[in-house]
Amino acid sequence: MFCRNQTARATIARGSALEMEIRRGKFRQSVFMETPQDSDIQKKIDYEIRMREGACKLLAACSQRDQALEASKSLLTCNARIMAYMSELQRMKEAQVMQRVARRSSDAGPMDDRSPCKGKVAISDLRIPLMWKDTDYFKNKGELHRCAVFCLLQLGGEIFDTDMVMVDRTLTDICFDNTIVFNEAGPGFELRVELYSCCSEEDYSAGSTPRKLASKLSSSLGRSAGKKMRAALEPGACSATSNGGGATILLPVPSVQGPKYHLLAHTTLSLSHVQDSFRTHDLTITGNEECSYWLPLYGGVCCRLAAQPHCMTQQMMSGCLRVKLGGEPQGWTNVYGVLKGTNLFCYHQKEDMEAKVEPVLTIGINKETRIRAAEKDPHSKAQNICITNQYGGEEVTHTLAADSREDTQRWMEAFWQQFFDMSQWRQCCDDLMKIELPSPRKPAIVTPKQGSLYHEMVIDKSDDIGTVTDILARRIEEFELRAQLGSPPHWMALFDEDPPHTPQHLPPHSPSPRLHSRQPRSPRCQRTPGLLSSNASLTSDSDSPASVSPCFRQAWSPVASSSSGRFRPRTLSLDAKLSTLRGRGYNGFRCNCQPPTASSVSPRPTQTALSCSSSTSSSSSSEGSNSQESDLGFSRPSGARRSLRILRAKLDPRNWLQSQV
Amino acid sequence: MSFIPGQPVSAVVQRIEIHKLYEGDNLILGFSIGGGIDQDPTQNPFSEDKTDKGIYVTRVSKGGPAEVAGLRLGDKIMQVNGWDMTMVTHDQARKKLTKKNEDVVRLLVTRKSLEETVRQSMMQH
Repeated sequence: MFCRNQTARATIARGSALEMEIRRGKFRQSVFMETPQDSDIQKKIDYEIRMREGACKLLAACSQRDQALEASKSLLTCNARIMAYMSELQRMKEAQVMQRVARRSSDAGPMDDRSPCKGKVAISDLRIPLMWKDTDYFKNKGELHRCAVFCLLQLGGEIFDTDMVMVDRTLTDICFDNTIVFNEAGPGFELRVELYSCCSEEDYSAGSTPRKLASKLSSSLGRSAGKKMRAALEPGACSATSNGGGATILLPVPSVQGPKYHLLAHTTLSLSHVQDSFRTHDLTITGNEECSYWLPLYGGVCCRLAAQPHCMTQQMMSGCLRVKLGGEPQGWTNVYGVLKGTNLFCYHQKEDMEAKVEPVLTIGINKETRIRAAEKDPHSKAQNICITNQYGGEEVTHTLAADSREDTQRWMEAFWQQFFDMSQWRQCCDDLMKIELPSPRKPAIVTPKQGSLYHEMVIDKSDDIGTVTDILARRIEEFELRAQLGSPPHWMALFDEDPPHTPQHLPPHSPSPRLHSRQPRSPRCQRTPGLLSSNASLTSDSDSPASVSPCFRQAWSPVASSSSGRFRPRTLSLDAKLSTLRGRGYNGFRCNCQPPTASSVSPRPTQTALSCSSSTSSSSSSEGSNSQESDLGFSRPSGARRSLRILRAKLDPRNWLQSQV
Repeated sequence: MSFIPGQPVSAVVQRIEIHKLYEGDNLILGFSIGGGIDQDPTQNPFSEDKTDKGIYVTRVSKGGPAEVAGLRLGDKIMQVNGWDMTMVTHDQARKKLTKKNEDVVRLLVTRKSLEETVRQSMMQH
């Protein structure tokens, strides 16, 4: 137990209960003597304590917010690591004591239970979606509420943290690009993922920028600002769990100034969550909206959790074997067998394996394989090993033999261990999952603050009827100019339909109530009054561009002298038309069996001018939009406003579209 | 109505023939649909399997042609006039139902109660 040349000491804090007990002679200090593994952990603890001291000093010294956040993050990680090591140390000491007790009672038989192999577990591409209210996206009022977040990942005794990400409402997801690999994980591992966040608004940190604070206090605080202030001033008010709360008795926790992270959400992943692709897991969210560090989380975390058990990546057993190849009873071939992953590779010689030559024979060893030791072969000393697999529908049996009985035993043992590992690691043993080792850190590229997807989309907010009218009036004036110049715009080619078609498209009902603005003009146009009336009808069918064209064509006809005169009154009628349309819109939106019914709501003559080529294509989109709007109860006819609403509704992932048919 | 990957999908279906009705100058069927492969399937209140991206009936208007023909709330539409509805986007589904030159739509719908009815009647024999 004693080792004279090793300075072993147990760290016992002064004034602690343990020290008192030792002083009283209740325990010999040697009971707490460290074993070599203990000193390992002790070194780690010492290292982490030094790191923590450094982080505290940095935190006290730094002036910039970013540095303070980073330092606070490393402080939190160091604390977590120290706690983990301490508890590990505790567990080991307890285990030692238990072992000594067991040895003393000396009735513990040989431990026969198998332990599964360890493996590597890697978690990468963490993404946590956020769920901002749509008012946050589209109305950019107010200060940007920013939070600094990072993830702490703990498996067994290993703790890693991701990089820190600043989150504000321009981000739709929190993405962590790090790949974290845990090296020694058992199949029953529990990977705890914790999301910490810290509010990043200067006003609420203690002591920094008192000016802003003073100015805020001098003017009256609003309700929400006051709440935040109160929350910030009461440190423990809204943090549900705080890592610093569970400080160990043996080490004093230094109290630090500066930004403090709070636990926002956590989840625990285990073997059942391991998959070779991305999966979404639920998050348990601590904290509520009142807290300063709150972020509206959607409630899930998406990541790729992969595991590589050692039985899949390392050689579990290797040695010389004899394999019966071919049909002859005595056809034994000497091979060098290597058991790795789900296969037993048989090479001619050991050097072949090192040279990566193709194996002579590959026998699959997986969940469906059956291995048994055969009857003693009269010709050989040892038992044969029969490996049976199912390839397709048929059974294939390979017979192997080792050189001696001990070898046979060792091979069987290896096979049993392999089967046990496979049963423990389950889906990880079907195929080798790829784990990319994190590449050496590239210097962080500071990208300028990007707008979110929503900011990139320019939605024209011209949902004012006056704006629309202005646009249309401008267009009409353009036509006027063109008419005087005498060259039709290039899109007129789309309207080259035969006039005789249009009379057939006269709608069954009379459009008269809407034509009051038009009628004064019809007598002027002597040629095709019928066409004009069909033209003005707004419930015409999809060939409505054709119906419009005669009117335009008449503009180019020899009656052109009156064209300029005719165009001007149209501007007024446009307004009138739009107002009648708005009134009529409630009825026109019932269904969209006739698509142009819906799309006809926009002013027809110049609508075609504006977007003639897209009239048919937009009819499909307006169909969808209208049906949706009928359900939502909106019926504003203005094209721009409608498109804005459609876009908003379609972009919102929380909407589940319903259409009336 | 849930599916096992790798196995053919089978369901007990009912044929429903809806005659469209003229309302004003529009043809309506009198129900609303939800779902589609471009929609979020977890928000479907009627589906058993929350990954089912099929088209479901979310509202049936009282006395309308759909109700008269036997369509019920929560039905999953499998086919419309021979067109498949199990792997379509929401807009595609709506279009197949609202073709203006057809005034009858023949749907194949399925619902949980159908399967149970069939199972019970089979058990009785």
